[in-house]
Amino acid sequence: MSQETGQPTVTLTIDGMTITVPKDTLVIEAARQAGVMIPHFCYHPKLAPDANCRMCFVEIEKMPRLQTSCSTKVAEGMVVRTTSPTVQQARKSVLEFILANHPLDCPVCDQGGRCDLQDFSHEYTPPVSRFTELKRVFPKEYFSALIETQMNRCVQCLRCVRYCDQVMDVKALAPQGRGTLTEIKSFGHHELDCEFCGGCVQICPVGAITSRLSMYEFRPWMLKRAETICGYCGDGCEITLQTKENRLIEVNSTLGGGRNNADLCARGFFGYHASTHPDRLTTPLVRKDGHLVEVTWEEALETVAAQVGWVKDEYGPEAIGGLISARCTNEDLYLFQKFMRLVLGTNHLDSSVRYGYMNAIEAFRRVQGLHRWTVTFDDVVAADTLMLIGTNVTETNPITGLKIKEAVKQRGARLITLESLKPVRGTISNIATLATHHLELSPDQFGIGVLGLIKAVFEQGLVDSALEQEAPEYVGALRTKIEAITWDRLLAHSTLTPSMFHAAVRTFEQGARSIVVVGQGVLRSPGGYATMVNIHDVLLLLGRLDRPGCGIAALAEENNEQGAIEMGAVPDLLPGALPVSDPEARRAVAASWGQEPPRTPGLTMMEMIERAKTGHLKALFVVGENPLGSLPPSAGVAEALDRVELLVCQELFLTETAQRAHVVLPACSYAEKDGTCINTEGHTQAVRKAIEPLGESRPDWEIFSALSVLLDSPMEYETAKDLTKEIRNMIPASRVLGPAPLPPRPDREVLRRYILGGYRDDLDGRLTPPPVTKTTGTMTLSFAQSLFHSGKFSTKAKGLLKIQSAGVANLNPQDAERLGVRTGDRIEIRNEGGSAITPVRAWERVPEGVVVFPEHFDQDLRQVMSVTVDPRTGVPYCKLARVSVEKV
Amino acid sequence: MPTTSSPAKKLFDTVLFREIWEAMKVTFRHMFHRPMTFEYPREKRTIPDTHRGALALLRYDDGQERCVGCDLCEAACPSHCIKVISEEDKTRPLQRYAKEFYIDITKCVFCGYCVEACPVNALAMTKLYEYSTPDKRTLLFDKARLYEIGERYLEDGKRYLYAHNQEKEGEESRAYRYQFPVPVQKTPNA
Ligand code: SF4
Ligand code: SF4
Ligand code: SF4
Ligand code: SF4
Ligand code: SF4
Ligand code: FES
Repeated sequence: MSQETGQPTVTLTIDGMTITVPKDTLVIEAARQAGVMIPHFCYHPKLAPDANCRMCFVEIEKMPRLQTSCSTKVAEGMVVRTTSPTVQQARKSVLEFILANHPLDCPVCDQGGRCDLQDFSHEYTPPVSRFTELKRVFPKEYFSALIETQMNRCVQCLRCVRYCDQVMDVKALAPQGRGTLTEIKSFGHHELDCEFCGGCVQICPVGAITSRLSMYEFRPWMLKRAETICGYCGDGCEITLQTKENRLIEVNSTLGGGRNNADLCARGFFGYHASTHPDRLTTPLVRKDGHLVEVTWEEALETVAAQVGWVKDEYGPEAIGGLISARCTNEDLYLFQKFMRLVLGTNHLDSSVRYGYMNAIEAFRRVQGLHRWTVTFDDVVAADTLMLIGTNVTETNPITGLKIKEAVKQRGARLITLESLKPVRGTISNIATLATHHLELSPDQFGIGVLGLIKAVFEQGLVDSALEQEAPEYVGALRTKIEAITWDRLLAHSTLTPSMFHAAVRTFEQGARSIVVVGQGVLRSPGGYATMVNIHDVLLLLGRLDRPGCGIAALAEENNEQGAIEMGAVPDLLPGALPVSDPEARRAVAASWGQEPPRTPGLTMMEMIERAKTGHLKALFVVGENPLGSLPPSAGVAEALDRVELLVCQELFLTETAQRAHVVLPACSYAEKDGTCINTEGHTQAVRKAIEPLGESRPDWEIFSALSVLLDSPMEYETAKDLTKEIRNMIPASRVLGPAPLPPRPDREVLRRYILGGYRDDLDGRLTPPPVTKTTGTMTLSFAQSLFHSGKFSTKAKGLLKIQSAGVANLNPQDAERLGVRTGDRIEIRNEGGSAITPVRAWERVPEGVVVFPEHFDQDLRQVMSVTVDPRTGVPYCKLARVSVEKV
Repeated sequence: MPTTSSPAKKLFDTVLFREIWEAMKVTFRHMFHRPMTFEYPREKRTIPDTHRGALALLRYDDGQERCVGCDLCEAACPSHCIKVISEEDKTRPLQRYAKEFYIDITKCVFCGYCVEACPVNALAMTKLYEYSTPDKRTLLFDKARLYEIGERYLEDGKRYLYAHNQEKEGEESRAYRYQFPVPVQKTPNA
C-alpha cells in the first residue's frame, strides 16, 4: 500500500530498475514512469488498450512469449526487459512489415519531423528494405476541406477510430477492408462530416490524418509555440498556438496539460484564424465630417480624453457608461473597471456576463454566498449522477461535455437530461442519447421542468430529513406552493408524464456524488434567475447542495465570464466580487487604489441603453462588445447610440456598434497579448502572446492606461504582469494559477439565512409556472449556439466557415413535412416584429414545434425577437420567440 | 655571393655582366614552357564535373518541376540562405510544391549540402560562376531564376549529380529519381 494515497501498489523490475506503481498499471505506463520509452503505435493513455500493432513487445520473465506491454498489467515481482535482443528483433520485424507498404513520403508529409514511425524506423531498422514488391496505393474517393486522410501512410493502429468513439462518442470513422488493405474512412461515400474536433489529426501517430487548413505550410521544426488558453468558450482549454514568422499556423494540445487534457473542439482546433482575419482594424479611426478616418494614436487618444473630460465636467460622471466583453483578459477587465470607477468616477459599467451568466452568479451569491462553482471538472468526471438542465453541452461547452461523456461511458455514471433535444444519433454526438432519463422539453419550458422536479421530490418523499428539522417552514412553504400546481398545468404542452419526473428524481437521489449542470437554455430564457434559484431548492431539498462532490455547475458562454465577475466588471461588484455597497469592501479596495470607488449604484447594460435613449447618458465606452449586433432591433440600441455624444469602441473588427462610433481604437486579440483568464470552473489560467500585435493594435489595458494618463489620473503599468500582480494581491482567490482549481464550499451562514427566511422574497413569483402563451399554428424559435461557432467572433475564422458558413433553420422532419419543405428549401419566419427568409434543414434531433437557428448568423432574424429584462438581475432575454413559419 | 671570391674574379664577372646572364637564364628557360595563366575572359578553363558553382533547380524530362517544396534544403543549409515557401498545389490536390523559392547566393558558401539533402535531386550545382553585378539585389535568386539556370545549364547539373554519385546515368537512373505517389481519384461510379 502506498503511504500517501492508501492505494494498493505493486513493485516490479524494468530493465534492472525497481519501481513501485499503483496496482493495475499497464507495463508500458510503469516503464514510462521508470524513464523507459517503449515504442508503440496503438496504445494511448486516453484509450482502452487494443494491442493491435505489436510494436510494444517486451520480454517478461516466466512468461512464455513476448508480451504486448500496452495490454499487460503489472504484477508483484515482475521482471521486464525492454531492450533484449529478442525484443529488438521483434521490433525490427514489426517495423519492416509496416514499412513494406509505407510510402517514402516523409519529405512531403506534414508529420515528417514529429512522426513516430520515422523515429522508430530511425532507431530500430536497417536503412535498406528487403522488400521489392510494389506498395499499396489507395484510390481517393473524396478530398475534404478540413481533415484530410492519406491512407497510404496509415499503420492501422485504429487510434483515430477509437478516439472518435470512446472519447468523442461521435463514431464518424470506421476501418473498412481487411489486413493491410484496411482503410480508415467515414461511413458512406462522402467526405467526413463530424464534430471536427481534430482529435484524430492529433492522435494519429503518423501522417495519415492531417489538417488541410495548414497543409504543407510548415515543417514542425520551424514552429514557435505559445501555450495559451482558447478564447472561444468558458471551458478554457489549454491550446498551443504554433506560429511561423508571426503567422498562426496550427493549434495543438498537450496530454496532461490544462483542464482539457489534450481534448479540443472544432472552435479551438480550427478557429484560430479569426485573430488574423484581413478585416482586422489596424489603425485608430476618428469620425470627421461623418466618416471614420485613419488617424494616429496620439490624435485618437487626445480626442477621446478631451471629449470625455468635457462630458464629465459638463454632465458629471453619471453621464458616462461602459460595456466590456468577457472575452477580454482579467487584466483588461480589471483595468477597465478601475478606469471607469477611479478615472471617470462612475459605477455604470457592465460586461457580457449580463447576457445570461449573471443569473447563475446572482443565484449562487444569494443561496450559497459565493460566486463560483463548488465543484470542478474532476468532480464531474467522478460524479455518479449527473443532471443536465437546459444545456446542449456538446455544442455550447464541448469539453464539459467530454467530462460528462467520460463519467457516463467510462465510469458508469447515471445521466438525467432536461433538454430540448430528441435522443437520436447524428453526425455530431448527442448527449441525450447517453441519458438514463431524458425529459424532452421545449426550449421555453426548462423552468417548468425544474418545477416538475421539485414536485416530484415532494411526491416521492425524498426531502432531506436534516433540512426538514432545520427549516420546517421553508420545506412547508415550498410544499404548499408546489402542491397548488397541478401536473396537468405543468405538462400541458409536453409529452412527459409525472412518473418520468418521479423516476428521474429517484435516480438523482440515489447518487452520492450528484452534480447539476445548467446551461444557456435556463440562463438565457425568461425567468432564468428564478429557475436557477429553484434548482438550488431541488438540491437543498435532496440534501445535496452542501455535500462534497455535489453542486451546481452553471456553464459560461464566453471564455472569461467568470473573470469578469471576479474582476468586478459589473456595476454592483468590486474586484473579488465584493458588493460596491459593502463599506468594508470599499475600504479594502481603497487601500490598494488610494481612493474610494464611487458610491452611487451603477447601471446594468439595459439600464444604460434606456438612459442613453432618453439622452441622460452622454458618453459610452464599448470594449469588444457589440450590443447593436447582439440585441434585437426592438431593444432600441440604435436609437440609444444615436443619442450619445461620445461613443468610443475598442474593437478587433468594425462591428455594427463600431460603425457608429466617434472613435474606434484597434485592440489586440487573445493571440497577441499576455494575461490571465478564469474558466467557468473558476480556474485561473495564463494567456500568452503568440504573435506580435497586428498593425498598430494594442492590448485593451494599455489603451485604458494611456487614457488615464491623458485624463490626469495615471494608472501606469509596464507589462500585463504588473497588473496580474496587483490583481493577485487584491483577490486572494485568483492566486491559483496551477494544474487544478480549488473550489470553495458554500457559506453555511448564507445558506442558513436563505432557508430561514431569505427564500421568501420571491417565492410566489418563482414557484408559478409562466402563463401559457402558445397559440395554435405557431412554433417556438430558439436562437442557439452552434458547436462550430462562438458569438460573432468565430464567423471570421476561415476554418470554421468551411464547416458552417450560414444560418439554417433546423426543423423536426415531421414539421418540415407538414410545411411541405425539405432540406435546402426556404421558409419565411414571421411574427409581429418582422419577418425573414432562411434556408431550412430537417434535423431529427429538433423536437416538434421548435425551430432552432444558430445565433451567430441571426442578423436578419433578430427582428422577430423581443426583449424582456429580468427584474432582479437585469438580464435581457431575447433568444426565444413565437413565430409562424411558412414555405416560400 | 661568396665573400671569399678574389678581386680578379670579381672584375671578370663585372666585365661580362654575369649577373644579368644568370637572371636571363630563367627567362629564356620559361620561353619554352607551356603558359601557366590564360587570358580570361577570352580563354576559359575546363571545369571538373564536381565543381560547386551556382545552384539551379531542375525539371524532369517531361518539364515538370522536380522540387516538391519539402524545405529540407532550407533545413540543411548551414548559412541559412535558402527560403522555401510551400503549399498545396491548387490544381493537383494533396501535391506539395514550392510556391516561392529563394537562394541568397551572396550568403551561400557552396558546401553543396542542400543538393545532398534534396530527396528528388531537384537542386544541382552548375559550372556557372559568372554573375557579378553592380546590383546586389539580383543575387537573391528566386524560383524563376533558379529554374532558368537549371534549363541553361541542365547538362552541368546532371553531371554534378552523377559525379557526386547522387544520380545514375542511363536506365539505372530511375531508382535515383524518386517521384512521390500521386493520389489517384476514384471516379464516383467505379
Ligand atoms: S507518416 Fe511518418 S514515416 Fe510516413 S511519410 Fe509521414 S513522416 Fe514519413
Ligand atoms: S489513420 Fe492514423 S490513427 Fe488512424 S489507424 Fe491509421 S495510423 Fe492509426
Ligand atoms: S471552444 Fe471551448 S471547448 Fe472548444 S477548444 Fe475552446 S475552450 Fe475548449
Ligand atoms: S551550397 Fe551550402 S550554403 Fe549554399 S545554399 Fe546550399 S547548403 Fe546553403
Ligand atoms: S530539398 Fe529539394 S525538393 Fe525539397 S524544397 Fe529543397 S529543392 Fe525542393
Ligand atoms: S502499442 Fe501495444 S500492441 Fe500497439
